[in-house]
Amino acid sequence: MADNGMEPKIVAFLCNWCTFTAADLAGTSRLKYEPNVRIIKVMCSSRVDPVFILKALLDGADGVLIGGCAPGDCHYSKGNFYARRKVALAKKLAESMGLDSKRIRLSWIPASEGPLFARVVNEFTESIKQLGDNPTKREVYI
Amino acid sequence: MTALDEVNMDNEVSMNKGIWIEGPVKKGILEFFSGLLSSKKVEAVLMPAKNKSKDSYAWFLMGKDGLLESAEPFPPVMTTQGARALSYLTKKGTAWKKTAVVLRPCELRATIELAKIKQVDLNNLVLISFDCPGAYPLEKYFNEDQKELDEIFGACLSEQVELEGARAVCSICHRFTGRGADIEIGLMGGEAKGFWLIPGSGNGEELLEGVSGSKPDNLEAREKKIAEATIQREEKRNNTLDSFRETVMGPENLMNTLSSCINCHNCSRVCPICFCRECYFDSKALSSEADNMLQRAQRKHGLRLPPDLLLFHLGRMTHMSISCVSCGACEDACPANVPVSMLFSLAGRNTQAVFEYEPGRSIEEPVPYKVFRFEELKDFETPYTKEYAKEQ
Repeated sequence: MADNGMEPKIVAFLCNWCTFTAADLAGTSRLKYEPNVRIIKVMCSSRVDPVFILKALLDGADGVLIGGCAPGDCHYSKGNFYARRKVALAKKLAESMGLDSKRIRLSWIPASEGPLFARVVNEFTESIKQLGDNPTKREVYI
Repeated sequence: MTALDEVNMDNEVSMNKGIWIEGPVKKGILEFFSGLLSSKKVEAVLMPAKNKSKDSYAWFLMGKDGLLESAEPFPPVMTTQGARALSYLTKKGTAWKKTAVVLRPCELRATIELAKIKQVDLNNLVLISFDCPGAYPLEKYFNEDQKELDEIFGACLSEQVELEGARAVCSICHRFTGRGADIEIGLMGGEAKGFWLIPGSGNGEELLEGVSGSKPDNLEAREKKIAEATIQREEKRNNTLDSFRETVMGPENLMNTLSSCINCHNCSRVCPICFCRECYFDSKALSSEADNMLQRAQRKHGLRLPPDLLLFHLGRMTHMSISCVSCGACEDACPANVPVSMLFSLAGRNTQAVFEYEPGRSIEEPVPYKVFRFEELKDFETPYTKEYAKEQ
């Protein structure tokens, strides 16, 4: 693991039915994972307006994780398909304007997959550590 | 509608018919409308006309004995975006009289976008559009010799050359014809003074029945000229936007570009696509206590107020860029000379490409936010489950 002493702040929008439950399971299974995520529970991943993602990134979050049910397994049957379109738009927009779209990650984590949640968080934290500080963090004008 | 897979996007109308009307263009058009009104094929016309003070244009609903004399189907400036004017007419339901509307191509595209989100009701409307040479920046038109500008504009219109001194976003417009309207007024590719009336739908054909004119066979020449010009303009558009992107890339450059913004939100107010009754960015959702601001200021060693300037612009882009028709109304309304129209065009070009969507191309094509495909956009998710499943 790259150790540059950085402790990234990651905002995670997790859907109530799958990914949040997976996070819960990871906890109750006493799995250890990087403590860098701040979880915000949403009822469905499609609740995440691209504006939320940008707000987090512009306010100094180093990464944004959006977690939802696997395609086809959405509790509301198709919410995560809409979520994918929204995240795609946010990523493309960030990329067009020269913000790092690697700081946004969309992952599908089913409710029963606590270990997968831990792994996604570890992996994402690692990749954010490699990217370093979000340059918006100290920008007075933003 | 949910899954996109079954939607048929073919909306081609054969373009081999057209009525050529010889003579001065504006006079011919106004005669055409006057004919439509007296034969009761339409009962009202919505188009721009000179204001009473004669120094600018506004949109007017007009009948047979009304303002038609001062009407100006091809104004040299875009004062109010036509789609916005039109949405005032039909937002609350169908127009009960058949109404013809004359729109610039970008206004036409915005109208189609608004129809998709139910801000315009297309029933009983006849959309008419034309080959647009561009428009002057409002500020330029108000501050310079209007007579001279009008003359130059008139010449560009009849000779179909790009308008000199046009708005930046007009100079990179690649959808400059009235394609998609019920009636397309064709100016490009004609040999002598005159224009075509080309039906683009059954509705348009109905209205053109009985309109006398010669039927020349050189619509093909027009098509060819349009195709050539489109390729040229597309290239110019892409190059210009690419080099513009270089200057705004990254948070620092982006802030420099937007730093003169005075937070008036005019760009959103005049935007035809921004239709929300209450804008998220004008709402209380983003306001917070002094404590929050002071903490942010402490963290960053200072904070610009009003806050969230970049969030407003980027956030608005996530809402409207997918439908942005590059009409440039935003930049005309900006009192601080921020190149917003280029910025939004750039965002629009890139986000639309993700969904292979072109705003205003077809009413059948749903707004990307409202639909999805089961298998798509794999590049934007992080595929993990499968690999993980293999290991288990």
